[in-house]
This record gives sequence, C-alpha cells and structure tokens, in this order.
Amino acid sequence: MRFLMRRLGFYLAAFAVAITLNFFIPRWMPGDPTTRIFLGLRGKLTPQAMDALRASYGYDGNLWDQFMVYLGNLAHLDFGVSTTNFPEPTSSLLFYSAVWTLLLVGLATAISFVIGIGMGIYSAWNRGGFFDSVFTPVNVMLNAFTPAIVALILFYAFSLQWRLFPLGRAHDLGIEPALTFEFIINVLYHATLPVLSIVIVTFGSWHLGMRNTMIGLLNEDFVALAKAKGLSDQRIRYRYVARNAILPQITALALTVGYVLGGALITEYVFNYPGLGKFTLSAIQARDYSFIQAQLLLLTASVLIANLISDILNLILDPRLRSRTQE
Amino acid sequence: MTELTEAMPPQEAVASRPATPGRKAPSRAEIAAELGIKPPPRWARGLPRGLVAFLTNKKGMAGVIILTIIVMSAVLAPMIVPHDPFRRAGGPHVAPNAEYLLGTTRVGKDVFSQLIYGGRTSLLIGFVAGLAATVIGVFVGVAAGYFGGRIDEILSFFVNVVLVLPALPLIIVIAAFVEQASPLVIGLVLAVTGWGFAARTIRTQTLALKTKEFVLAAELLGEKKWRIVLMEIFPNMLSFVVGGFVLATIFAILAEAGLEFIGLGDPGAVTWGTMLYWAQRNLALEVGAWWEVWPACIAIMVTGAALVLINFAVDEITSPQLRASRGVGRVKAFLKARGRSVDVF
Repeated sequence: MRFLMRRLGFYLAAFAVAITLNFFIPRWMPGDPTTRIFLGLRGKLTPQAMDALRASYGYDGNLWDQFMVYLGNLAHLDFGVSTTNFPEPTSSLLFYSAVWTLLLVGLATAISFVIGIGMGIYSAWNRGGFFDSVFTPVNVMLNAFTPAIVALILFYAFSLQWRLFPLGRAHDLGIEPALTFEFIINVLYHATLPVLSIVIVTFGSWHLGMRNTMIGLLNEDFVALAKAKGLSDQRIRYRYVARNAILPQITALALTVGYVLGGALITEYVFNYPGLGKFTLSAIQARDYSFIQAQLLLLTASVLIANLISDILNLILDPRLRSRTQE
Repeated sequence: MTELTEAMPPQEAVASRPATPGRKAPSRAEIAAELGIKPPPRWARGLPRGLVAFLTNKKGMAGVIILTIIVMSAVLAPMIVPHDPFRRAGGPHVAPNAEYLLGTTRVGKDVFSQLIYGGRTSLLIGFVAGLAATVIGVFVGVAAGYFGGRIDEILSFFVNVVLVLPALPLIIVIAAFVEQASPLVIGLVLAVTGWGFAARTIRTQTLALKTKEFVLAAELLGEKKWRIVLMEIFPNMLSFVVGGFVLATIFAILAEAGLEFIGLGDPGAVTWGTMLYWAQRNLALEVGAWWEVWPACIAIMVTGAALVLINFAVDEITSPQLRASRGVGRVKAFLKARGRSVDVF
C-alpha cells in the first residue's frame, strides 16, 4: 500500500506540473490569446470590449489571482467556452472526441502488446534462429516509420485505391449510436486502419524489449536449475522466464501511452477520424486556445491513470514488490 | 595410465569430440570456420575493442553507410539540386521525367530538389535536437547518479515528470502559442521534452559505476569530483551515451516530421515534414500525384531505419549477452551435427 501511495503522490505532483505548464505557457509566449483576437479584428474592438475579453479568458488581474481563478475553473472541469462551436463549453466536445481517441489508443496498445510480447518470447527462445535474425531487426525498424507515414500508406492503399475501408468518420452516419451488434461492428470497421497504423509502428518495441529481457534471464541460474529438474520447456518458458521478463514491459507500457497518444493524434488527422487529434488541429486553425490547453490536461491525466494501472498490475504480478511494501 | 587419460580427456578434446568414434578431432581453426567465427581483422589491432566491435558489426555499418549517403547528399544539396526548391520550376503536378526526376508539386516546385534540400533542415534539426537532449540527459543523469541524496531525489522527480508527460500534446500546446514554429523552435522544444530516457539510462549506469573499485581508488587519491566524473565515469559509459543520442535523434527526426505534417511548422520552410504537409493539403494522393507524397515518406523511413540499425549495433556492444545470442543458432547446429544435446540453451 505504501508503494501505491508513493506512486499516487508522484502522479499528483506530475499533474500539478502539467497544470502549471498549461497556465504559464500562453503567458510566457509573445501575445496571449486576447491580443491575438484583438489583432485579428484589426482594431475594431473598443478598449472596454478588450477588457471584457481579457476577463472572459482569465487574463485580467495579477498573475497570482489569475492562477487561482484558473485552478478554481479546473476543479469544476470548466475549460472555458469553445470558440469553434461558440456557445458550447469546451468540455462537451473534449469528452466526445476523447472517447474515440481512447478507443483507438486502447485497442492499438492491447493488440500491439500481445503481438509484440508473443513474438518476443518466441524469438528469445529460438534466439539466433531464422525468425529472430530476420524479424527482430525488421520489426524494430517498423518503429522508425512514424505513424504519419504508415497511416498515409494504409490510407492510400486500402481506402483510396482498393476502397476496402471508409475514408473517414468513426461510424456510418445512418447508424444510430447504441450498444447494438451492428453499431459495434461498424465502429470497429472504421477503427481498423487507424488502429492498424499505430500497431505497426509500436509492436516492434515490445518484441525487442521482451526478447532482450528474456535473453538476459535465460542465462540465469534459476533457469539452469529448472532445466536440471527436468521441468517441461513450456513451463520454463512461460512460468519461469516470460513471467519475470514481462514486468519491465508493463512498466514501459505505461510510459509509451504518451507516445501512442501522440501517434493517435496524427493518425486521426490522416483518416479524418473524429478524435482529439482532429479537433485539436481544427482548434489550432480556429485559435480555440481553451480546447488546445484542455486536450493536454486530459491526455496527461489519461497517461497518469495508465501508469497507476501498470503499478497495480506490477503489484499483482510481482510478489517481491508486495512483500517489500508490507514492511 | 591410458585408462585415466581416456576418462579425463583434456578440455579441448571434450568440446570437440566427434560423434563417430575414430574420426580425428577437428582443430581449433576448423571449429572456428564451422561456427563462422572470424578472427579480428589485422587493421583492428591496437584500436579500442568497443570501436572494433562496432566497425565489424554488419548491421551497424550498413546503417552508417546509408546515413552517410543521406547526410552527404544533404550537405552537397546546392551542387546536386537541378532546380530552386523554393520556386516554381514547371507546370503543376508534372509526373516524374528526365527533367523533373521526381515530378513537380501542385504549385510546380521540383520534388527532387525539395527532397534533397529538405534533408538539410530535417537532419540538422534532428541531430541538433538529439544532441541537445543527450547533453541535458547526461548532465542530469550523471549528477543524479553520482551525487545521490537530495540532489538525486529532486532530479529524478523531474526526469520522471518529463518521461510521463505526453510529449506530442505538450509540443502542440507550445507550437500553437508560438504560431508557425520555425524548424529551430521545433528542435528546441523537442530537446526540452526528449531528454528523459537518456537521463534515466545514464543515471542507472552512473549508480553502477560509482561503486566500482577504480572510482573508489580515484576518490581515495583525492581526485576532484568533476575529474572523477569526467575521466573515470564518463568514458566507461560512452556506448550508453551514443545509444541515447541515436534514440533521441530518431525521436527528434520523426517528431519534427510529424509536427510539420499536421501543420504546426512553418509552411514556408522546405523540410521533409512540410513536403508531406503540402502534399496532404493539396490532396496529392486523391488526385493521383503519388510522387508528391512518397519521396519524403521514403526519405524519412530510410533515415529512421539507418539509425535503428546503428542503434542495434550499439545495443550489442553495451550488452554482450545480446551479441552472444546471435551465435546461438550456429552453436546449436554445431552440437546437433555431433549428436550432442542442445538442452543447455
């Protein structure tokens, strides 16, 4: 429990850093949003209107008061009014689009982790063999192909050329969003290519990580002892080596969520998928600053929650961690 | 006496005893040939072992050669490019031909010239951002690892925060407020957000090296701290520093391209990322102008792949177990051919 409390304390502190950055970045940069809007309107704004605008964005008063107001709004999940869909609050569009982004990230992470870990176990067990010497380098190289490019290639081949997959959207317009079989299948169909592009650029790192950790463990004495005892290969491979080797991968999993999120943002842009990435980019073009800032906080919170989950998983899988924390 | 020698043959004989009795034991050279072990080449004598391991690593050298070609063509760009990459050179969307090797963009700029020229900025920003991130990472990692205590706690906190904050969304916020981030600004932001992994690896290495006898000896001799760090600790983790640099550079090149692709860069600059941005905006794929899209894609992919190959070689040098694992397949075949158990692997 003490272990979890310590981690929780760290995540809260990290979130505080994100909030502080989010508050200060626009204030450090040359020209805050209100000045931008003022310039954009070419002086058609009266000084009074300008003051009102500053107040509505929370840029009036001294810095400390601004910070307090900002924190107070955050506590109510009030990210300000969206300038793109004007009367709507930022939070409604934010949470709508976040659902789709998290769906992509969740599916892609799960699939790529399972594939990568499986391949890692196989190539570590048969290290130096054909599969290992060919696919380990190839899969890791796929990592360097960046989501943007893989998404472009898949979009070109499957959506434009062969017309096997849709050109955009998260589901067909004709289908009523509900928890029906038909709707779920339609959503998965639309998510296939975006998810696939993320899987292609990420599974290689699980493959390599699992393989390298397992190779290190295979030289350990406990494996030699297990062999001497005559335990089956199956048992040694999964219960003895893979179980130990997967722990660092789970820690790494939480750290890569941030990277996968970034990849998802770019992928959505290519596939015209209505997630956070697409709306963030239109927010940038529309200078909807409250949305741009809100997405950072939401994504940071998601990454931190993913880290907390991985801590709990580690605690379940690793008895050593449990006994140490009971002290 | 003869019985004794039969029961306890000399070590080499055990290792290479033929399965069929009566066959002569192979010599050391024959075993080496069968296992594919090559002696270090003559020119390698006197060079540091780590360097030789890298120079004789096929993957690593392939990466170095590919990267050298790309870097050279970027450096020599003004001599290579047939057209001005910033100006209209021909009609819109001309397909590749002898005059326009890779065709033209929608506004008639020569794609080949843009590709070669774009490599300059993309590579420069990538390497500089990677280098800056590595330098920050090494400083923070060494300081945290070597000084320990309160300093370590504070620095480790920041390392973990940088690792845990999602880089791209943060960069989007910064870039959105800078408005039309020039490649330089993007590189700066990437350096500030990309040093976490290097710092963590270097800290672990420093912790491991700190307890070694030679560091202790230097401390007892009364060496200054900065001297111990610089002369004793740093050279011993050079390969980790190089590995960190390669990874940070890959991250920077890919992230820069990604940011510019989604339109956060300066659209007036010519880089691989902005080439993709314009191609996407002009719907190049939809109208069938594939040549506006794929050259930049391939350039980024090949650069990334070359760096990954180099990183592979560095990995094998820092971790001998990984290097040894490459030979396991051959050793197994060797043992099997002699009818021996391969259960030890």
